[in-house]
Amino acid sequence: MFKSLKDIVRKSSIHVCIVNCGGCNGCDVELVALYSPRYDIEQYGIYIHNNPREADVILVTGAVTEQWVDKIKRIYIKAPEPKIVLCVGNCPISGDVFNQEGGTVHAPVSDFIPVAAEVSGCPPRPSEILNAVLTIVPNAIASRGREKK
Amino acid sequence: MILPIGPIHPGLKEPLRLKLKTQGEKVLDAEIDYGYVHRGIEKIMEGKPWQKCIYLAERVCGICSYEHTQTFAETIEKISNIRAPLRAQFLRIITAELDRLQSHYLANSTYFKAMEHETMFMYMLSQREYAMDAIELLTGNRVNMGWNVVGGVRMDAKEVHLNQILEKLKEIEKNHDRYVGMFENGPLVGLRSKKVGRMTKEEALKGRAVGPIGRASGLKHDLRESHHTYKDNLEFKPVWRKEGDNFARTMNRFNEIPQIIDLIRQAIDNIPKGPIRVDGKIGSGYGEWRNEAPRGEVLYMIETNENLIKSISIRTPSIMNIDSCAKYMLKDVATVSDAVATYATSDPCIACAERVAILDVDKGQSTRKFI
Repeated sequence: MFKSLKDIVRKSSIHVCIVNCGGCNGCDVELVALYSPRYDIEQYGIYIHNNPREADVILVTGAVTEQWVDKIKRIYIKAPEPKIVLCVGNCPISGDVFNQEGGTVHAPVSDFIPVAAEVSGCPPRPSEILNAVLTIVPNAIASRGREKK
Repeated sequence: MILPIGPIHPGLKEPLRLKLKTQGEKVLDAEIDYGYVHRGIEKIMEGKPWQKCIYLAERVCGICSYEHTQTFAETIEKISNIRAPLRAQFLRIITAELDRLQSHYLANSTYFKAMEHETMFMYMLSQREYAMDAIELLTGNRVNMGWNVVGGVRMDAKEVHLNQILEKLKEIEKNHDRYVGMFENGPLVGLRSKKVGRMTKEEALKGRAVGPIGRASGLKHDLRESHHTYKDNLEFKPVWRKEGDNFARTMNRFNEIPQIIDLIRQAIDNIPKGPIRVDGKIGSGYGEWRNEAPRGEVLYMIETNENLIKSISIRTPSIMNIDSCAKYMLKDVATVSDAVATYATSDPCIACAERVAILDVDKGQSTRKFI
């Protein structure tokens, strides 16, 4: 009973930290658009702030640049359990156009931290991001919380 | 005390490290650490055909992605002596101005978020969605549009779409004046933004501030005045202010919005019929082209060998604006929270600014050809 109560709490209040580890900024703009009254992500109990220390979900955008190789791991460690990582855009999945000769990126993100789900697109539309977050995150957070206990 | 802000911080939407030298709450000096978003775009572009490079140029920056492709295309057109047909030029201008519209709203919303004015933040974002809808109607995508090619644009716009864009502009105009009034006459907003982060005209000249940030400090410089399509076909006057504080920079962007809407209306009213793309042989040689991006002057220097890009150098406005923000605006700001707001009002776009050149002064060598 105590566990299911915890599940309900975890599902209904989700804190998100956005980490841009070196992309073109397009995905971040679409994430900012999620705040807007049209999409209004906060009505689902999802609160976006950029503090890894109180985050349940880390939204990663961008191919991993030189500076982020060690920092992305440190940010992941800082987030409290249970936590999941969601990749937004093509960059964290494959490095997109930057992952070719001459580029200084170390994609994919899954080489550094465990990734729960990926939303592809360059950039994905806000409705797609919202859909992905709502379908995956609440259950993933709850099940991850159970497995740790 | 040295107070680090970033790279992950609620007030910043992109990674950057701000080091503030503070005495109590007062900011004495500021320093900026770049390098979190360096992807090596210029190096990737070398030796590739322009069709691949224009795709990369679009991904220099996500907010002003349109202006990069237009400048890239116009540089190659200049090298190969091609001039896009007039209808294509008009379509380019409509898209460029719509992009500027959404960028200005986004910049102001970031400022309101940084000074904790959530209501205006939401209003600005809801206004911005109309501009995004108009862009999507015209080009088929919201952020990275893939709209420009050398010699014109990729698709033609139908009369229906242009009329729908006019409808969207009406929706934007409906509430715009009310929101500007809320900011202009709101006493508390005024207290937070007037005389904060002042940059005089001389300092703006020294810091090479461009775009709305420079124009808010009295630099009457707008590259659209010298662009051939604007000069020959459309009428407009640059908007500028004297004060140079946070209030002036935000108001300058607000005041540019009616002018942008007017420009789009003029372009849609006078758009000629005809082809949207011309064919031509890509020439070899060196060329440069400047355009007015939403944040100021963007410069492309390209050397081509027929279809291939030999070397390329991109200069974006953000690097000058962020630098003048750190050197002049952040000096003597009264509190740290004002410092974050001042940084937000300089409209930083870090993805634009990250480019690297290694110089060896003794040997006179550089990793880049044009600097």
